[in-house]
Amino acid sequence: MSAFVGGLLHPLAVPAHAMALLALGMLIGQQSLARSPAPPLVAFAAGLASGLAAIASAVAQTSAGDLLLAGAVLCGLLVAIAYLLPVLVCVLLAVGVGAALGLDSPPAVISMAAATTMLIGTGLGAMLTLIIVALCARRLARLPQIVPRTGMRIVGSWVAASALLVLALRLARGQLF
Amino acid sequence: MTRSRKPASIVGAVLLLLAVACAPAFAHTGSASGGFAGGFAHPLFGPDHVVAMVAVGLWGAFLGAPAIWLLPIVFPLVMAFGGIIGILGVPLPGVEIGIAVSAIVLGLMVALAARPPLWIAAVLVGAFAIFHGYAHGGELPAGADAVAYFVGFVVATGMLHLTGIAFGLLARWPAGRIAVRAAGGAIALAGVAFLSGAG
Repeated sequence: MSAFVGGLLHPLAVPAHAMALLALGMLIGQQSLARSPAPPLVAFAAGLASGLAAIASAVAQTSAGDLLLAGAVLCGLLVAIAYLLPVLVCVLLAVGVGAALGLDSPPAVISMAAATTMLIGTGLGAMLTLIIVALCARRLARLPQIVPRTGMRIVGSWVAASALLVLALRLARGQLF
Repeated sequence: MTRSRKPASIVGAVLLLLAVACAPAFAHTGSASGGFAGGFAHPLFGPDHVVAMVAVGLWGAFLGAPAIWLLPIVFPLVMAFGGIIGILGVPLPGVEIGIAVSAIVLGLMVALAARPPLWIAAVLVGAFAIFHGYAHGGELPAGADAVAYFVGFVVATGMLHLTGIAFGLLARWPAGRIAVRAAGGAIALAGVAFLSGAG
């Protein structure tokens, strides 16, 4: 598997990343009933680019994984509550999740060229996944039936509950932050 | 007008194959499949957990809207709270008894077709959720990926709720109502058996 494809699939292959992208995407889609989804998507792209750039410049190990889980908890809870939020909240969440995801994606290859290719793939994979989830969530949120909308809220509560349990476990083991 | 769905199916199949063929080692430990499968199987092999979760769904279906949709959203979050206090080692007395009593009470609620105010139902179910989360939430096998494991655990619990809701929807018909109430009675009896084992 090439470095690019490896990077492209990275956000889907790592459960914490997939969970955070799912929760944020559902939140953006749900909130986009009243406004454009563009600002949080652009904010996510900016955060992700900064995180990946920091990783490319060999930044030291961070607690980005824990921040990503905390972001998944917040986004999942907000999806479950399904309350219309100020756009700034969504933008800030998107920047935070994007940056944390980028910082938590160190490429496990030795060659500089392969590492750069993998990081580009990771960025594209994460962005595409988020856009697809947000668009699907937006479509579901617009349906008149209650089942799809409630189904999304249920999935949001599942994401928040799972991420909360992982954070508690890390806290109990003294590994949090 | 009919549209061919073939291209979309082919793209989906290719993406699925790529995802399966991918080796997600990179800088992370653990795998989604092993942890998820373990977490998903965990609640399914605990009969006390299974009957209580199904009873929650059955009762939700009896209570109707908004309880039917509210319980599957609230329950995982309250259960996670129970899991957190279990993981952090905060003592909670009578956990096994609480789980057995949850099957008895929830089963009886279904059997008697009880319709208390929503807040009473929510408090009751929430209290039992803490016991279930406490008992099962912290049981992470060594070496399993924590994120995938807990996702599997929560999803399996949610699916048990949805199974209960689906079965409970039979209560719209007279014969189905009898079947659902009988299932509630069976769950309450199972709870009595759990209680005799827990004591």
